[in-house]
Amino acid sequence: MDSNPQQPAAGGSPPKPWEQARSSSGSGPFKPPSPGSTSDVVEASGTARPGEIVSTTDRTTAVNRNAVGRPLPSRPWEQQNYGSTYGGYGSGLNYNSGYGSGMYGSYGGLGSYGGGLYGNGMYRGGYGGLYGNSGMYGGGMYGGGLGGFGGPMGGYGVGMGPYGEQDPNNPYGAPSSPPGFWISFLRVMQGVVNFFGRISILIDQNTQAFHMFMSALLQLFDRTGLLYGELARFVLRLLGIKTKPRKINQAGPDGLPAPHNPHGNQNYIEGPKAAPSGAWDNVWGENGSS
Amino acid sequence: MPVFKTPFNGYSVKFSPFYESRLAVATAQNFGILGNGRVHVIDLSPSSPVINELIAFDTADGVYDVAWSESHDSVLVAAIADGSIKIYDTALPPHSNPLRSLKEHAREVHGLDYNPTRRDSFLSASWDDSVKLWTLDRPGSLRTFREHAYCVYSASWNPKHADVFASASGDCTVRIWDVREPGSTMIIPGHEHEILSCDWNKYDDCLIASASVDKSIKIWDVRNYRVPVSVLNGHGYAVRKIKFSPHRRNLIVSCSYDMTVCLWDFMVEDALVGRYDHHTEFAVGVDLSVLVDGLMASTGWDELVYVWQQGMDPRA
Repeated sequence: MDSNPQQPAAGGSPPKPWEQARSSSGSGPFKPPSPGSTSDVVEASGTARPGEIVSTTDRTTAVNRNAVGRPLPSRPWEQQNYGSTYGGYGSGLNYNSGYGSGMYGSYGGLGSYGGGLYGNGMYRGGYGGLYGNSGMYGGGMYGGGLGGFGGPMGGYGVGMGPYGEQDPNNPYGAPSSPPGFWISFLRVMQGVVNFFGRISILIDQNTQAFHMFMSALLQLFDRTGLLYGELARFVLRLLGIKTKPRKINQAGPDGLPAPHNPHGNQNYIEGPKAAPSGAWDNVWGENGSS
Repeated sequence: MPVFKTPFNGYSVKFSPFYESRLAVATAQNFGILGNGRVHVIDLSPSSPVINELIAFDTADGVYDVAWSESHDSVLVAAIADGSIKIYDTALPPHSNPLRSLKEHAREVHGLDYNPTRRDSFLSASWDDSVKLWTLDRPGSLRTFREHAYCVYSASWNPKHADVFASASGDCTVRIWDVREPGSTMIIPGHEHEILSCDWNKYDDCLIASASVDKSIKIWDVRNYRVPVSVLNGHGYAVRKIKFSPHRRNLIVSCSYDMTVCLWDFMVEDALVGRYDHHTEFAVGVDLSVLVDGLMASTGWDELVYVWQQGMDPRA
């Protein structure tokens, strides 16, 4: 908000909330601050080494001073032949080379998350290790540490080969204009997957809707039939027409329900029926006791 | 509270130290593996629940962190995945940005911190194992601090001592430095696993917090760092970033790969004060406003930036 009452003075940002507060602890192990600007202070202390470029070979000197004495994991980008190992897109390309490794490294740092497992392939796994270990995204697909998702990662990194060369020498690097082949390929793949995802959702929804519609229709017919029967009986009764009451299971001579086939008491469910004289129509009919 | 959708995966969010409604967001394409990056400068409008984008800067590589200048209200610094540091001025038209591009790191720059006390310098923590000190009045870095044996993930200035800072590294140590000394003044082997973030308590200049892949946050007193003052457990995965509250002495906010943002009070028994699970992917950036008490912001790989008042639901 431009109407901020704490409009910055030339000295910089508004005072911090903690600057008004009194320090709640005693004196720390720090030397008192020196007056002057940071550059003056550093240069006065004789420790300034302006513009020092950190090369990767210098790093080994620092390792000796590792205070922890703990074995350190290999660096995320110090991965060899990643593509070929996992048969990703970049088979045969050395992962360690050029810019691609840097990009992979950027991911590998997150691999530090990889379940806290160092010292084996898992660490380099970046995404693979990460997801594989967490089990969050379904073990089958991404599981197995470096497997699964790790494979395509190789592809990602290697893809930077043709892509990454455009920038490093251009300090004011404009946004990269032509995306590299792998990027566009991945984008296309994403589009395809999205497309089919949507299609399948559409089909699924349609099927579901159709099913619900049909079952509702059938239910409606069912109910309508019942209603129609009741109504018809009611109207007929009003008109004084006697509808024949259904004779269901008239009592047999000994008070037991008679079987449908009243020839004796044979009650073969699937047994051969005695051939009725005449037509079929008295097989089930009420006059069957002829 | 308002939500801002970024086209890329969020990596870091910072409140402006000058304007209470302004934030900067660092984003990177394809989870930062490869592709472009973008720095967004966004503004909360006071009336409507909408976040407006003031300006955005595109970069050829992912942006992992941003830091606002403490001396100029429109200047911000961005940490780029190709190892460069770019300085932007939001008041200038896009074609004159970035103001400068400082390329000295050999690997990705992962963390930046602007000196809040002296306000003329900033630190960059990089995966080439070094921390560099920069001032705007010099063409290159002023000093390089190289002792860490593994990637340095973040560096943080002491809020009271303008010459003292701490760095958190994957070699499982936090180191305390004085810019006038040739080497580190203190080494805290704090965790069994990589340390991803550190921050100083704003009201007690001897307390420092470290967040690690071992899912814990530890609070250390630099006068006696054999044992931590407090250990905060509760995150389900590695803790990515931590920040002490600028307003409350005992309050810490943290974000983690378990997709939550947590608030802690490290002085009480039940340290976990609040847990926000609004992100649907890794929460990797969190910040607390210096100007408004309790205003929080977070971002994550779900490409969303949330800004909310502490105690409210970020999604509401």
